[in-house]
This record gives sequence, structure tokens and C-alpha cells, in this order.
Amino acid sequence: MTRADFTNTFVMMRLVLRRDRTRFAVWVLAIAVLVLTSASSVKGLYDTPESLAAYARLVKDNAALIVQAGPGFGLDDPTVGAVLMNELSIWAIIVVALLSMFTVTRHTRAEEESERADVVRSTPLGRDANAAATMLAVLLVDVVVAAVVAGGLVGLGLSVAGSVAFGASLVGAGVVFASITLVSAQIFPTARAASGSAFLVLGISFVIRAIGDVAGNGLSWLSPIGWAQAVRPFADERWWVLLLPIAASFVLVALSAGLADRRDLGAGLLPQRVGPASAGALLSTPFGLAVRLHRASVLGWATGVTLLSFFYGVVAEQAQRMLDDNPDLADFFAQLGTGSITDAFLATAVTMTALLVGGYAVAAVLRLRTEESGGRADPLLATPTSRARWALSHLAVAMVAQVALLAAGGLALGLGAAVAMGDAGRVLQLTGATLAMAPAAALLAAIAFLFAAAWPRAALASWVGVGAAAVIALLGGVLDLPDAVKALSPFHHVPAMPVQPFEVAPLLVLAAMGALAVAAGLGGLRRRDMART
Amino acid sequence: MGATVAAVISVQRLEKSFGTTRALDGLDLEVERGEVHGFLGPNGAGKSVTIRILLGLLRHDAGTARLLDGDPWQDAVELHRRLAYVPGDVNLWPNLSGGEVIDLLARLRGHTDLRRRAELLDRFALDPRKKCRTYSKGNRQKVALVAALTSDAELLVLDEPTAGLDPLMEAEFQQCILEAKAEGRTVLLSSHILAEVEQLCDRVTIIRQGRTVQRGTLAELRHLTRTSVEAVVEGPVPQLAHMEGVHHLQFDDPGAGGVHVTFDVDAGNLGEAIHLLADTGIRTLVSQPPTLEELFLRHYDDESSPPVEPAGER
Ligand SMILES: Nc1ncnc2c1ncn2[C@@H]1O[C@H](COP(=O)(O)OP(=O)(O)OP(=O)(O)O)[C@@H](O)[C@H]1O
Ligand SMILES: [Mg+2]
Repeated sequence: MTRADFTNTFVMMRLVLRRDRTRFAVWVLAIAVLVLTSASSVKGLYDTPESLAAYARLVKDNAALIVQAGPGFGLDDPTVGAVLMNELSIWAIIVVALLSMFTVTRHTRAEEESERADVVRSTPLGRDANAAATMLAVLLVDVVVAAVVAGGLVGLGLSVAGSVAFGASLVGAGVVFASITLVSAQIFPTARAASGSAFLVLGISFVIRAIGDVAGNGLSWLSPIGWAQAVRPFADERWWVLLLPIAASFVLVALSAGLADRRDLGAGLLPQRVGPASAGALLSTPFGLAVRLHRASVLGWATGVTLLSFFYGVVAEQAQRMLDDNPDLADFFAQLGTGSITDAFLATAVTMTALLVGGYAVAAVLRLRTEESGGRADPLLATPTSRARWALSHLAVAMVAQVALLAAGGLALGLGAAVAMGDAGRVLQLTGATLAMAPAAALLAAIAFLFAAAWPRAALASWVGVGAAAVIALLGGVLDLPDAVKALSPFHHVPAMPVQPFEVAPLLVLAAMGALAVAAGLGGLRRRDMART
Repeated sequence: MGATVAAVISVQRLEKSFGTTRALDGLDLEVERGEVHGFLGPNGAGKSVTIRILLGLLRHDAGTARLLDGDPWQDAVELHRRLAYVPGDVNLWPNLSGGEVIDLLARLRGHTDLRRRAELLDRFALDPRKKCRTYSKGNRQKVALVAALTSDAELLVLDEPTAGLDPLMEAEFQQCILEAKAEGRTVLLSSHILAEVEQLCDRVTIIRQGRTVQRGTLAELRHLTRTSVEAVVEGPVPQLAHMEGVHHLQFDDPGAGGVHVTFDVDAGNLGEAIHLLADTGIRTLVSQPPTLEELFLRHYDDESSPPVEPAGER
């Protein structure tokens, strides 16, 4: 690596920032609003030492909650900051990681796929300039996020050291996951595979730290999410831990530069195999084509969802064990009238699975948009394939796949729980509970369809639905959201089995709303111009 | 109806705007059954927009468009059974092989001809097993061409189909189009390659800024332009300077008593000008019809710009 390899890095960085300025602004704003409203809500909810102590008693050493939150540093002598970290930090870390990962694939592998990279590379641009520029842009955006978050927390009266440590831990996690994505962008030949594998690493990091935090065996030190939490913001900050993400990022970026030297622009490190000389029976209809196009990503998602759900199932048993040594908790759940804590935890696990699958379904439906903007809709629509048939083929695959994913996730969750608790009845119960989420996930997909079919330029707005559903499900408690707001999430309307009894009416309403959105989307699609590449 | 029955494509006063961009501004296009029709115009003239309207991918704002006696928007699916399309920018599914794409498109059109497929793959020297991601631009173009040419479509709509082809493949393409024509198929060919247009097209339509500026057979178009004349005559021909249709007149004296004269003359006045020369006594005479390039450049250029210099002076 020489200086020349970085020629024009800053020009490229400005290009990245210019192209993504709206995206970045939306992310920064969303993250800031999320963290700061959570903080002010926690401040309001836990405004006395007694209430803080009560919170700590409730959640401390509760394995099921540790899985969803982290080790719970500082809960021995709880402060508002420590409570906030326990409720929020893991989700903030994941969101910043996602922002960083998306940015990296978008400007590296996706760019090469589009062939714009060739044009850019033909200018006097250093070999490593684009990667360096992307990483610098990610660093800059992560730092902006951190600064806004830390500044806001200080403004709310939280300690400066804790706020800065939290901000720094977010930057560390963001940059590590960006570096991981940069490496996978060298290995895999498509943006989809590159980000898919990086997401898998994110999921594994989540699980590793969950196991480590519950067992208290130090395993969490293997997970970048664990590192971010080990900085211990608001709980006797450990600044040296920030060296871990810095060191890891340097190693990963150097690795990626080494890999990049070993491959051609546009190619991956994994060799391209040749395909069949003629098409199999599947490729005879638009639906068959859609199946073929979605197949690989469905398999990837199935792997991730199944593993994560199985893990949640296995952990559920820990929740039961807690109850025996924590009378406060037993009281708490008795008061809520929600039955056992195990059931409450499993209901949360079902929602997590459903959120993931909802995310899948939206991503799958939005393929319509990339097919169109990539110029691959024109050749299909110039055959006797109607627009509706083209669009519905992708929707149908997304819908079938999401039901299959829910079934797989529910089955894995149930199997995990059944094995851990020695209760075979869990399998059917949890598979059913998870499958009941299908109409809610389908509604998210149907809204994405409405956008992609009728108004593709705004299609990315479909993610607002997924984001809102995730915030409501995961942070609804800490944000103290009113029921009217919670009602905006389709998942909120599905009976939270196994805690609540099954009801069919809300599912039918969700399905009907989904059908309406699809019909409206088709109406719009019939009227509009197809986009030009 | 009479006349329109023969028309495979019939477009009148077609208009289309994208926001403030006026892409088509009263375009006319008439393609008759069995002909190869050249569709020409400078970049951004509106060729691809017209073609996408004819394919029902875009909606037009005003005017009429008929395709195979149907409405390209309303009857898109039915009409597409009878046509095949090669886009200007061929984008295919990166993880499908070329062979898979060819088969898929053929099956969607409802006509698979394996013998013809094999023959075309051979003629275009295309390896069908490669993933579309790994094809070069020219090879991606060939995938789309083979897919279109294997079909039994009565109309081929080709938008710059040879933009990425090497000369050998270009020749093969021209051969295929001539064969398609011999089979009685109709071809709409948008192209910037004039030699190809000259080889293949019966008639052409030239558009500029969304409007049709010229149409007819190549011979008719030539007729509309100037011929350059270079002659040595016995004496001066002053009448030429006053004659209508004569441009860029130049006299000089090559010595030996003759007068060297060069000028361009409109097709309608050529005979009269030659008469004048003959009356003076011609020693040598070279007359050159305009090259195709000149013919097109004249129409591609802005109306305000001066006419193109005749070939003789280059
Ligand atoms: N979807 C669109 N949105 C906005 N403007 C468009 C769109 N499609 C075409 N245009 C505009 O319409 C005009 C005609 O474009 P068109 O693609 O038809 O040109 P063309 O004749 O095919 O040119 P070329 O020879 O370069 O292919 C151009 O000014 C172009 O920018
Ligand atoms: Mg064009």
C-alpha cells in the first residue's frame, strides 16, 4: 500500500456524503430521537432512588432480560444512565451497526455491480481510495451520531463521561461492523451476498454476547456488540476497552485491502461458476423467475431466523429458574397477570422473530423496485407478461417465504424451549404463536408493495413501518408509549401468545388491510410509467 | 381503414413530457408490414421514448399510437405475443446464465425453437453457460438478440441492437435481419450506425427534438439533398452564379485555357446546371451524390446551422 493507492480519497468521500446526505440525515435524526426520547422517558419513570432500586431488583440477574439487554452494568447502584443503557444501548448499537453496514455495501460492492465503479476507477483514483473514502464517511457519520446523542444526553442532565463513553462505544461498534462488511464485500461477488453475510456476523455477535452475558464466562469479549457494552457507560467507564474496536478495525481494513489486491474489480474472491446452458422447468413463468431470484436470500434468512429463534427458545428456561430466586420478579409478573415469566419471555421471542421476518418480507417486496430501476423489468414486460403478473410474482414469493420463515422460526423456538424445559407441548404452541404473526408481517410487506408498485421513488419509506414496529415492540415499555401509538404497529394487534389467548378477528382485519394495500398498489402500477434505467 | 391495415406501426402527433422535459413533441412514425424501417435521430431525440410507448411501458400524453392494429397501452399483453424487443441497454439477471435468459424469454413469449436457438448461438459465437454478470456488454447484447431472433414474432423492435457488437457480429446481425425480412417480418430498427441503416433499411424516419423531420426511402432522402459537382469547362459560366439551387460556387483557373468550377446543387436543379456546363463545353466532370453521413448530419444539426460542406471539398 502506498500513498498513490489513496489518491483522491477525499474527493470520493465527498461524493459518498453528497449521494447519501438525505439518508444520513434521516438516520442521524432517527437515532437521536430514539435515544433522547428514551432517555427523557427513563428520567421521568425513574425519578426517585426507590424507583431506580425497584427497577434494578426486577431486571438484575434476570437471564431472559440479559439476553435482550446486556450484562446490566451499574445496576448495583442504579442511576438513570445505567437504566437507560440497560434498556437501550444494545438496540442503539445494532442500529448504528446497520447504518454503517448499509453504507459500506452501497458504496463498494453495490457500486461495482452497477458498473459505475469502472467509470470512477478510470479516473486518477487510488486503488484503495474508494474503500478508504467509504470508511471515512462511515466514521464521520458515526461520529456525528455519537456527538448528537452524547450532546443530547448531557443536555438532559446525564453525566458527561457516561454520555461521551456511550457515544464512543457506538462509533466503535459502527466502525467494526463497517470493516467486517468491507471484508465480506471483497469475498462475495454480489452486494446481496456481501451484506447478507455481514448481517449473519451481526446476528452471531448478538448471540455470542447473550450467551456470554448470561453465563458470565467472558465469551462476550468475542463479540463487537459485547465490546461496546463493556465500555460501561454510566457505570464506571472503562475507556481502554475502546482500543478493541479500533484495533479490530485496523486489522479488518488491512485484511480487506489485501483481499482487494487479489481480485479484479467487479469480481469476488469466490470463483464464479458457469451456469446451465439451458433453463430448467422452473424458469417458465414470471413466478418461477421470482422463485429463482429470491431463492438464495430466503435460504440465508431461514438460516439466521432459525438459529436465533432456537437460541431464544433454549434461553427461555433460564427465565423460569430466575423466578425461584427472585421473589420481586414473581410478584411483578403476578401483578401483571401475564402468567409466567417464561411465557412473557417467549412472547417477546415470538415478536423478535416476527420483526425479523417482517424485515425480510419488506426487503423481498422491494426487489420489485431494484428490478425496475435495474432495467430488468422492461425485457419481461415486453413479453406477454402483464405488469400485475410481474409485480404479484414477487409479492407471492415474499408472502410464501415469510410464512415459511415464521413456521421455521416458530418451530425452532418451540424446539429450543421444548428441549431446554423438557416440555414437548411447547413445539406446537410456539409454532402456532409465531405463525399467527403472519398477517402482521404481511401487512408490512403489503405496504412496501403499495410503494414499490405505485410510487417506487418513495419505496424506501416502507422501512419506516418496520422501524416503527421494532421501536414499538422493543422499546414501547421504556418509551412509555401511549396505546394509540403502539396501535400503529401491526404486531401490536396480534394476540401475544402464549401469554394471551388466540383471537382470529384482529388477524382478519390485518389481512384485509394488507389486501387493500396490494389492490391500491396494483391500481397505481396500472397507470404509471415504468422507470427508465 | 384501407391504408392502416398495412401499417404495423402507426404513430401520429405523439406527445410525451417528463415534468418540464418535452421528450416527444408531435412525432409521426409509419412502419409498413414487411419492411425494415430505420429510426434515426441524435442522442436524446426521443427514439427510446417512442419505442417504450409502443411497448406500453410509458403512457403518452397526446396523439395516437397504434401497433399491430392494437392499442400499445391497453392491449400490451396480447400485442407482446407478436413482437420481440431488444433494448438499447441490455440489463439481465446477473445470476442467471445467458441460456437460461434466452429460454425464459422464449417460454414467456410462448414459442421455443431449439434448432433455431442452437443455430443462432453458433452464429453469434455465444457461450450460453456464462452467468449474465460475467458477460461483456457485447455478449449481453447478443443474449438479447438471440432471444429476440429465436422468436417467431412478426415484429422486431430493436433499439440500437448492435451498439456493442464487433464487426463480425455486426455482419451476422445484418444477415439475420435480412433473413427476417425475407420471412416477411417487420423490423423497427433504431440505430446510429449508418452503414447498417443503409444496408438494411427500406425506409427511414429521422426525428429531432421529439419531432419527425424527414421520412422516406433512402433514395428519396438523397433526392432531397445536394449533389456536389466538380468540372473543368472551356470558358467561364457566369449564369451559374445567378442560378437557383446552386451553392458554394467557386471558379479558378487551372491554366491551359480551361476553367475549374466546383459547386453544390439541389437535386431539382442538377439537370439545368449540367446543361449550362455542357453549353460551355465540358472537359472533365465529376459529380458526387451526398454521402449518407452528410445526409443525416444535415438533419441532426440545428436548423440554424449552415448546410454541411459537400464531399468533394474534403
Ligand atoms: N423516464 C424519463 N424521465 C425523464 N426524462 C426522460 C425519461 N426518459 C427519457 N427522458 C428524456 O427524453 C428525451 C428523449 O430520450 P430518449 O431516450 O428517447 O432519446 P434517444 O433518442 O433514445 O437517444 P439515444 O440515441 O441517446 O438513445 C431525453 O431528453 C431524455 O432525457
Ligand atoms: Mg435511446
